[in-house]
Amino acid sequence: MADETVLRLDGVRKLFGAAPAVDGASLEVTRGEIFTLLGPSGCGKTTTLRLVAGLERPDAGEITLRGRVVASVARRVFIPPHKRNLGMVFQSYAIWPHMTVLENIAYPLELRGERRAAILDKVGRVLDLVGLAGLEGRPATLLSGGQMQRLALCRALVYEPDLLLLDEPFSNLDAKLREQMRVELKVLQRRLGVTVLFVTHDQVEALSLSDRLGVMHRGRVEQVGPPRHLYEHPGSPFVRDFLGQTVVLRGRIDTPDAGMVTVKMDGALTGRTLAGRAAPEVGLTPGADAHVAIRPEDIEVAAEEGTPPRRHTLPGVIEALLFVGDRYEVRVALGGEQRILLLLPRTREWREGQRVELGFPPELVSVWPA
Amino acid sequence: MAGVSQAIALERPRIDMSSVLCTAVLGVVTFSVVFPVLLVVLQSFQVAPPGQPARYGLDGWRAAFAEPGLRAALVNTLTVTLVRQLVSLPLAVFIAWLLARTDLPGGRWLEFAFWAAFFLPPLTVTLSWILLLDPEYGLINTVLAQLPGMGKGPFDIYSFWGIVWVHVITGSLTVKVILLTPAFRNMNTAFEEASKVAGAGTLRTALKITVPVMTPVILSVLLLGTMISLQTFEVEQVLGIPFRFFVFSTTIYDLLVTRVPRYDAATALAVVVLAAMLPVIVLQQWVTRRRRYTTVTGQFRNTPHALGAWRWPALLFMLAMVAVVLGVPIVFALLGTFMKLFGFFHVKEPWTLQNWTTVLTDDVFLSSLSNTVVLAVGTAVAAVIVHSLIAYIAVRTRYAGRRALDFISWLPFTVPGVILGLALLWLFLGVAIVRPLYGTMALLIIAGLISGMPLGVQIIKSGLMQLGGELEEASRIAGASWWTTYRRIVLRLMAPTLIAVAMITFVGAARNIGNIALLATSANRPLAILQLDYIAQKKFEEAVVVACIIMVISLAGALVARLLGLRGSV
Repeated sequence: MADETVLRLDGVRKLFGAAPAVDGASLEVTRGEIFTLLGPSGCGKTTTLRLVAGLERPDAGEITLRGRVVASVARRVFIPPHKRNLGMVFQSYAIWPHMTVLENIAYPLELRGERRAAILDKVGRVLDLVGLAGLEGRPATLLSGGQMQRLALCRALVYEPDLLLLDEPFSNLDAKLREQMRVELKVLQRRLGVTVLFVTHDQVEALSLSDRLGVMHRGRVEQVGPPRHLYEHPGSPFVRDFLGQTVVLRGRIDTPDAGMVTVKMDGALTGRTLAGRAAPEVGLTPGADAHVAIRPEDIEVAAEEGTPPRRHTLPGVIEALLFVGDRYEVRVALGGEQRILLLLPRTREWREGQRVELGFPPELVSVWPA
Repeated sequence: MAGVSQAIALERPRIDMSSVLCTAVLGVVTFSVVFPVLLVVLQSFQVAPPGQPARYGLDGWRAAFAEPGLRAALVNTLTVTLVRQLVSLPLAVFIAWLLARTDLPGGRWLEFAFWAAFFLPPLTVTLSWILLLDPEYGLINTVLAQLPGMGKGPFDIYSFWGIVWVHVITGSLTVKVILLTPAFRNMNTAFEEASKVAGAGTLRTALKITVPVMTPVILSVLLLGTMISLQTFEVEQVLGIPFRFFVFSTTIYDLLVTRVPRYDAATALAVVVLAAMLPVIVLQQWVTRRRRYTTVTGQFRNTPHALGAWRWPALLFMLAMVAVVLGVPIVFALLGTFMKLFGFFHVKEPWTLQNWTTVLTDDVFLSSLSNTVVLAVGTAVAAVIVHSLIAYIAVRTRYAGRRALDFISWLPFTVPGVILGLALLWLFLGVAIVRPLYGTMALLIIAGLISGMPLGVQIIKSGLMQLGGELEEASRIAGASWWTTYRRIVLRLMAPTLIAVAMITFVGAARNIGNIALLATSANRPLAILQLDYIAQKKFEEAVVVACIIMVISLAGALVARLLGLRGSV
């Protein structure tokens, strides 16, 4: 049963006024995985999460949780949030200020009719799990930000929900604590095997935590896949530019053949050609304007310009050189017009004004219609 | 050289203008609020009858406690206060929850109805409910009496429950609703959502999360309501006297309006009230300070609870409440003005225009109307300046006396209005330099300013707290002085709140009775006192005409305040 589907969204739509916040989103989350919805603010990811939780009613589509339809416009089904057996960690944590740590965690257990002894036992174990053991009696308002977040996690996990929903849970923490909590969450999830639907706008969080992730754009899920696959094989210009850094150069299609496309460069770079694989699902015709995309870390930088020029290279000049500690950040001018930002290792010496040769390995380059 | 002279200028010990201003405000407020209160305390030991040389002793205190009605007045005051709060609080919490946290249709309009009701003068409301619930002639009673098996109407407004009923309608309920609704609306929705996701339904979430989270606010409103409820005396004066039901404020009034006023005994009673109120104020401030966690800024969005099938019953309930607190008072006050004999529906030809023509052609009415306009406008303008200064100093400055100022702004709540008026009378007759003010509108304006101080300062204070300090700090850093910042930044940003406070003070001054009952003379008598005079002369028909005019002025004030976007806040 490794492939059991915990959550399925089918063409889910949610309007606020006339504007769709979620516009036909479909996805599946399988048991035991961390599935992340990633996107810029306003892309509809939090609304999608709230639709799953039952805090919003969809205007179209269907949501299924462990085989049970919990919201369906066509079938006129809407199960309220308290009957969905979900756990949720809110962005503001929503730790109830009038309760102690124990009372906060015990609340969902009491609602499930658990006995006092069992409640105390479970609360103790879950607090132990996140390193808050012994704080049962503390008023919830006296906790630090990190502790509150752990408490919110305890409260959402203690009743073993079918699905754990995380709504930007790290956004209120400082950078150091955020990194620490990220690792803790992943370790905890692996130990408990709980299925997680995670919402964030932070691509580092998304890439590092998820088993699979879905990039959302304008209310739709644009692409779903394992983080590395999305990073290396983005299915759309939006996914490509949103995930990580991308260097994009303009050119004109020369020959599209056998999956490998040759592109002639324009302007000051006339005479040079680059090659790369065709981006998925696009027809590239000879003579059409095209974009050549590559991750900056995939560009091979050589200190000297070779003569005659090697294939799949472009000449450049280091315009600005910034030493940022573990590496250099450099701005390289390509033939005077296009400028790109690169990261260079500090194992070699670089200087401003230096001529360099940039290699674009075809297997790492993708070609897009302009 | 420029650099040197600048350095010298910085080192020169300078007189800080802001602390001079703060001290001036503290001085004026102390003189006009603390001094009268001290006079009240002092006067309670001054036992010589009026007009004779002062003599000090405990006779007043003895007389006050020997007064046979005192124990009854004490018990009555406490029970009326307690029962009012017990009835109105759960109701107000429920209404505020419906208005702020559910998808009740027309919530904004209903909320405005409670606003308007809050502005209705208590005396007007009392008079209209007399029309319905008078034991002999009340409309409800006469209708019910015709039912088979009913000898006589079951209701009597001249009773303990009659007084409680009118009190709940006139103030206890509406003030709580308008203060609680915005607080409920500002609550972080995630608290409720977390509870729902955890497995609790709407009802359980409301009872176990929403209300407990809001407890500090509810407590704060309850204490404020308790203080306000000890203020009014018109209701007991009109409804309690016919069946010899006295509370503290009416007992005090009784001691003052006898032929030989017992100032000593009356002030001794006032000191008892004051002593009882001080801990309530301290508690209220403590509770208010401690509740910072309940609202979270930048929340996601406020998703209302779906009432489902309960939507329409809930709406019906709310419409009934609005009819009781707003509809009945307005309709019946207006009806009353056209009655030949106030309250007698069954006489032949009960309707007439005579009352309006009598009142409108009365010279006294016209001078009273212009007095009221001067009084209300003057008080409103003065209140904006004085209350905002007090609030600003209390919230924003590091001035050493800011806590004292904050506390003083509450003091007018501790003294029954009649006594505060009396103390101001002594102050303005006793201190030579301010004596010329006696008999002028200025005196009444000062009285209105002082009685409006607790609420006005509170509203501006909470507005300032929501504003955040950075906007002012930016102005200071840009080179503006404290005073310039106050004028150019604070007053501008706070304009809607300040105008709303002006309207509240305007309405309060227009209908204020207790504070100025002893201060008004025939030269500066406003409408509210004219109304009281008519009632004292048993001219109810004329009184209700004046009541309606005051009501129209008040409702206009409510509308203006609402249009300017005032959100009630504690």
